[in-house]
Amino acid sequence: MTDPSVAQEPRRLLENLAARRVSLELSTLDLCFVAALGLRARTQQLTAFSEQELGDVFRDVCALVQPEAAAVARRATTAIQRLRDQRLLSRVDGAGVVRSGAYALTRLATAIVDFYSEEEALTGESLTILMRTLQASLVGLLEQARGAASEREFSERVAGPLRVTVRDLVDGIERRQRGLDLQQERFQQEIGQLLRSDWFDAVARCQELLEATTVTLRELNEVLLRDAHALVTLLEDIRELAEARGAPEVDAACHRLSEQLDRIGAWGSARQQAWSEYYQYVHRYLRDVVRLDPTRALTERLRAQLQGRAGRSFALVVAAQPPLLVPRDVTLPSERPPVERPRAERERPLAEAVPDDRERALAESVHAALDDGARTLSAVTQAVVERLPAGERFASAGRVAEAVTKLASAESAHERPWQQVDEGIWIEEWSLERETKDA
Amino acid sequence: MTATKFLTLGDAVENDEFPAVDLALRRGRHVDRDDAAWFGFLSDAADVLEPFYRRFGAELVYRADGYYYLLPTGDRLAKRHLSVAEMLVGQALTLLYLEPGTVEHGGRVRRDQVLAHLATVMGTDALVRALNPKRRRYDERVAQETVRARVADALRRLTALGFVEALGADELKLRPALLRFAEPVRAAADATGALSKLIASGELALTPLDALPEGDDDAEFDPVDADAPVESASAAVTEVAAEEPAAPVVQFDPSLFEDFGFEDVERAAADPGDTDLGEEPE
Repeated sequence: MTDPSVAQEPRRLLENLAARRVSLELSTLDLCFVAALGLRARTQQLTAFSEQELGDVFRDVCALVQPEAAAVARRATTAIQRLRDQRLLSRVDGAGVVRSGAYALTRLATAIVDFYSEEEALTGESLTILMRTLQASLVGLLEQARGAASEREFSERVAGPLRVTVRDLVDGIERRQRGLDLQQERFQQEIGQLLRSDWFDAVARCQELLEATTVTLRELNEVLLRDAHALVTLLEDIRELAEARGAPEVDAACHRLSEQLDRIGAWGSARQQAWSEYYQYVHRYLRDVVRLDPTRALTERLRAQLQGRAGRSFALVVAAQPPLLVPRDVTLPSERPPVERPRAERERPLAEAVPDDRERALAESVHAALDDGARTLSAVTQAVVERLPAGERFASAGRVAEAVTKLASAESAHERPWQQVDEGIWIEEWSLERETKDA
Repeated sequence: MTATKFLTLGDAVENDEFPAVDLALRRGRHVDRDDAAWFGFLSDAADVLEPFYRRFGAELVYRADGYYYLLPTGDRLAKRHLSVAEMLVGQALTLLYLEPGTVEHGGRVRRDQVLAHLATVMGTDALVRALNPKRRRYDERVAQETVRARVADALRRLTALGFVEALGADELKLRPALLRFAEPVRAAADATGALSKLIASGELALTPLDALPEGDDDAEFDPVDADAPVESASAAVTEVAAEEPAAPVVQFDPSLFEDFGFEDVERAAADPGDTDLGEEPE
């Protein structure tokens, strides 16, 4: 079947199964056929079946399961082929066409038969036996390990038994654990079924089922608590020796077994915890519901109440105190100050200042220039603006011309020549007559 | 219960469990054996805590089914009554709790199982009407969505109150406090008397819809099948027996019945007497 190394890697295992298109399709008749073969092999100590025996078994099964079926021989042929195709039945004689074949159930088929027929569940007794056998095996292996002279001898004496004998024992415990899980599930269903069918009369039987499982789980846990530690200690001793002798495969096998034992221990406590909760729930139910309502009238009345047939309506009252207000330290939020200008007088205070009568000063300057004998506009303008700051000269040139017209009469040629007065100031030239204007 | 550990209130208050248990009880939490530490504390401290809570106008109640809760009997401790959705879901959960099939799974049920059971017992139409009480006409898809949302919300609230325990996203564990929903029908005889006693003791309150006038939204819900289904539309709309003594009027918080923000096809009238708003749009 599958390589163990592959089995450790779920992804590769699944890919492998998918690539091989593994499937199982078994009808009830097929399953009964396999079960009948398995049971017959077990009771009659058969290692293989002839074709005739296979046909006989199928006929018996068919008579029981499908008595109305026709063409049984042909059905048997197709059923055998179906089982062979699904690797439940294999030919073991190797004679080919020389003679009719001999067939045996495969490991898959026997596992199916075991699942449906044996249903081994773990009990305190079986667990004790398995644990003791396991302990004895490990003690023997420890002795073998101590006595091994060479690395090869160590591997032969210890690794093989660890992989096969000890592991089979631990697997046996786990298999029975799963059996007990199934048994518990069945008990739970049975308790529900008993209450549905018998109600009050089912109380005693329900309690028996509860007690039985409770006792079993308690015993199992006691055995696990008592023996698991000793087994792990033995495995640790073997591991230390394996390390010292340089046998990594023994070390790995011990590690795997330790993990399996841990799992078994965890299973015990988890199941006991879960069952304990279930036990309490069912007991409470039996006490508070079944015993107090032996005729199941409460359910009917409650149903009527829910349907509104019980009279007036109502609602339960419950306390509804709001959560307590817990005062905390007040911390003021950091507010940003509003944007503002520094306070200042909008009106500037009055201050004394020397009057600045520029028009008059300009007129006086023009007057002085004319008095000094200037008789052209350019001469007057030049005389006035040269005393002014540079930035005011251009603007003042026009006002000089205006003042001149008030103080003298101006004449100009038809084509008035342009005359430079100052840098950047050119004016049209006038000639001036002072006396006439003054009059 | 008899206290074995705490002789004085001071001892109980100083216990590490007290703050959490006290807050939980005041918020309406029911404490049972599954809350092992809290239940143990309350069992030991019940004798000193009962008079303590009585001073707040509340009773620390222990039921033989195995749970404690705080029942406000005065005005000092805030209280509320469960909404229609919470009541319906709570009763459905109680039915599941009593169901032998649930025992198989140790009292665990799936969330969808609760809604399915509710619909089976009440009928889908009745359930939709009960949880869409203000709508005269409704879109089926929207109404069912509302039902699912209200049931989910009710489950969340009932979980907070300790009636159920959420186990992952899909599973719930039913707890013994659910039997509180069955209290009015516990007694085989004189259920009406039992109900009146529970109302008088403050355990129960009449639902607000009891006080609605005739011809309210639900009554005119759908004239086509307004007969039998409406009667069973909800426990909340059944008639009050005329001969029964008047029960205390309960002030209710309208927010308990608000629409959780789901889409309405048509809103009912704000004023029950205003029938014009109930007209089908042109």
